[in-house]
Amino acid sequence: MTSMQTAMPRQQLAQAMTNIVAPAQVLCDDENQRPFECDGLAVYKQMPWVTVLPDTVAQVQAVMAYCHQHAVPVVVRGAATGLCAGAMPNASGVLLVMTKFNKIVDIDAQLAQATVQPGVRNLALSEAAAPYGLYYAPDPSSQIACTIGGNVAENSGGVHCLKYGLTVNNLLSVTMVTIEGELVTFGGPGFDTPGMDLVALTAGSEGLLGAVVEARVRLLPRAEKVQVLMAGFDSVTAAGDAVADLIGGGVIPAGLEMMDKLAIEAAEDFVKVGYPKDAAALLICELDGTQAEVAAQLSEVEACFKAAGATSMRIAKDAHEAAKLWLGRKSAFPAVGRISPDYYCMDGTIPRSQVGHVLTRIQALSEQYGLPVANVFHAGDGNLHPLILFDASKPGELEKAEACGGDILTLCVDVGGTITGEHGVGLEKMPQMPYQFSDQELAQFRAVKQAFDGQEILNPGKAIPTLKYCQEYRSIQHD
Amino acid sequence: MTDLTNELRAQIADAVATATPLNIVAGNSKAHLGRQATGQTLNVSAHTGVISYSPTELVLRVRSGTRISDINQLLAEHNQRLPFEPPCYAQRATIGGTLAANQSGLATPWFGGVRDSVLGLGLINGKAEHMHFGGQVMKNVAGFDVSRTQVGAMGTLGLITDVSLKVLPQFRAEKTLMMPMPLPQALTYMSRFFCQTLPVTAVVYWQGQVIVRLQGEPATLQAAAQQLGGSEMPMHEAHKLWQQVREQTLLQPQADEILWRTNVAANDSHTMVGDDCLLNWAGAQRWQCLKQTAAKPAGAVQYAGGDRQQEVNGELDKTSQRLQQNLKAAFDDQAIFNPGRLYSWM
Repeated sequence: MTSMQTAMPRQQLAQAMTNIVAPAQVLCDDENQRPFECDGLAVYKQMPWVTVLPDTVAQVQAVMAYCHQHAVPVVVRGAATGLCAGAMPNASGVLLVMTKFNKIVDIDAQLAQATVQPGVRNLALSEAAAPYGLYYAPDPSSQIACTIGGNVAENSGGVHCLKYGLTVNNLLSVTMVTIEGELVTFGGPGFDTPGMDLVALTAGSEGLLGAVVEARVRLLPRAEKVQVLMAGFDSVTAAGDAVADLIGGGVIPAGLEMMDKLAIEAAEDFVKVGYPKDAAALLICELDGTQAEVAAQLSEVEACFKAAGATSMRIAKDAHEAAKLWLGRKSAFPAVGRISPDYYCMDGTIPRSQVGHVLTRIQALSEQYGLPVANVFHAGDGNLHPLILFDASKPGELEKAEACGGDILTLCVDVGGTITGEHGVGLEKMPQMPYQFSDQELAQFRAVKQAFDGQEILNPGKAIPTLKYCQEYRSIQHD
Repeated sequence: MTDLTNELRAQIADAVATATPLNIVAGNSKAHLGRQATGQTLNVSAHTGVISYSPTELVLRVRSGTRISDINQLLAEHNQRLPFEPPCYAQRATIGGTLAANQSGLATPWFGGVRDSVLGLGLINGKAEHMHFGGQVMKNVAGFDVSRTQVGAMGTLGLITDVSLKVLPQFRAEKTLMMPMPLPQALTYMSRFFCQTLPVTAVVYWQGQVIVRLQGEPATLQAAAQQLGGSEMPMHEAHKLWQQVREQTLLQPQADEILWRTNVAANDSHTMVGDDCLLNWAGAQRWQCLKQTAAKPAGAVQYAGGDRQQEVNGELDKTSQRLQQNLKAAFDDQAIFNPGRLYSWM
């Protein structure tokens, strides 16, 4: 609806905002707003109409109430590390930047819980919890910069999800401001509240239901022992089988990552940590727990990987070496960035048993589009991150990369998976939503959206496509 | 092993056409929970069976009328378990009801509750549309998390037709320890089970003792038992106790009593701390039987017993109530499903 509507004059909106926050907290010229025009997916850009940086909950309430009253779109933004253009601004709306809400309100070391403002960085929380022997488990690759508010919005994961869960599994309560400007809290300090689970509904809602202003999360005790090992395989299928055998055999690793040949080579050339460049696939496995537990599991993992045909194996002898083995994996994206002018990072999830098949199909797509694809993924939970290499300066390459990415996502759905594991739909994956969901399911999502935001002014045009959009999409697919 | 999705959908379509409220029932093991049921019975008990189970994927998908006891048996054959350890209610509890009533068991603080194991589900809404949300994979952020929203909704948002769950490997060994101590001290003591890496899967405070269940690798249990001290409870006694806590039979309200339950910060020293209270989840979930004439414990839910026509789940703030009413209308605008079961106004 908003795109059809005439925007409120920029100066009028900016003036209204300065009645709520200090003038320095309102930006409305292009020069100052330029840094806010995109999130981590920079191919989607939009200059905000007016940017507001509140620093009190009362200000957030007042901004929301004003926008509700005047039907002005609102996009809530954290650190904007998201990779699906979920935080891309709206051309006629307010961009509500939450980075000033950067305080850890409380760390309750006895209960192992923390209460944080949404702008607290993910890693900063683990650092603050460290003196108590605690940490915050969800650890997306962007954890140095991404914020808890954004993590809630996208239900972020990381490399330790299989064992320790996603954001939703570590979230006890959420306080948010509704589009009407009301303050509401779901959940509490216990592990349960009566009635429908609105904490879970809020997690992963991509800023469509409200503005999170506080979250209470669980912290976990640091494991007594952490052990990392790496194994090379001569095919991705063999590595995939090793993963299935390990988990089916009763071992749940803290992290289990896979990289394919192109990713291994790029990472090794970049950080030189001793990855086997001759391997077709690499598994990095992290075990944690008590000394006795880790020792027992380690011998099981070794036996399992050997039986699955590992061509090389290396067990980190100390924390330093473990960090080195992780470094290659964690540097995979920038490493790929070195070998290609641009890359497009995809995010889909598949049943683990489909890994071999899906990687073979991705290879075929790579050849079809003439674009190399490096694969890095969370093998433990089947979350793929194919990196499509392209050169945006060559006409048509970006479009080709996007088309290739779209085909990879629909492939994920075809094998029983999903178009997004942890990055969200945002603007990027709107075309694939009608592929994964029926019109009835999408209509149900819209009804949920309208239950919270009847005017649909919170992050409009993202995450949930309209029926009209779907009909257009389907007619294109049938052409 | 019968798929009754089409029949159930037809019954719902009829109910929608005639504006007939429905009371969803499968094993009928939870009639004593929530507010008193009204409406025409929609029987889901024959809609049973495993749709898919892949032990190496750790994913089980079953029809909603499938009994928890049958699921437990199947998983045990593959050396796996339901992480949230729900009650079986004399073999009558089904997965649909367990999810709707949020029957999260002993290990919830350490392995998550029902919601944490739910990966996806099928739902028939108040338009008699059959839809699927979530999926059979560990991570999925496409669309709103409609699946987990159903947890605790008492069937008010639609009929759950099938559920996909994350399962976990069975433990290899088990040990139960007892430490006698007064309650104030126990509240502090029990918080270590959140802050230390111990192989703990259940902690209750009952009749003057902290009782801890350890599960995991045998060597790990040995080390943890030495670290914790206390005395070991004989296995048969321990199994009986854990079964009673899980099946909610340790405290059973008499005809003139109410069983109250509350969820609090585990170290809360003010709420339900009497000698007759059962503290589960290391103190975060508390239970107490009181005479109907006794004052309601602050913040507690009237879990079972007493007048089931009044509100049993407590009051909500205005905004929460408005949002939940809106959500109800979003799924079931004619209020066909389990009217009034969760709240009088829903």
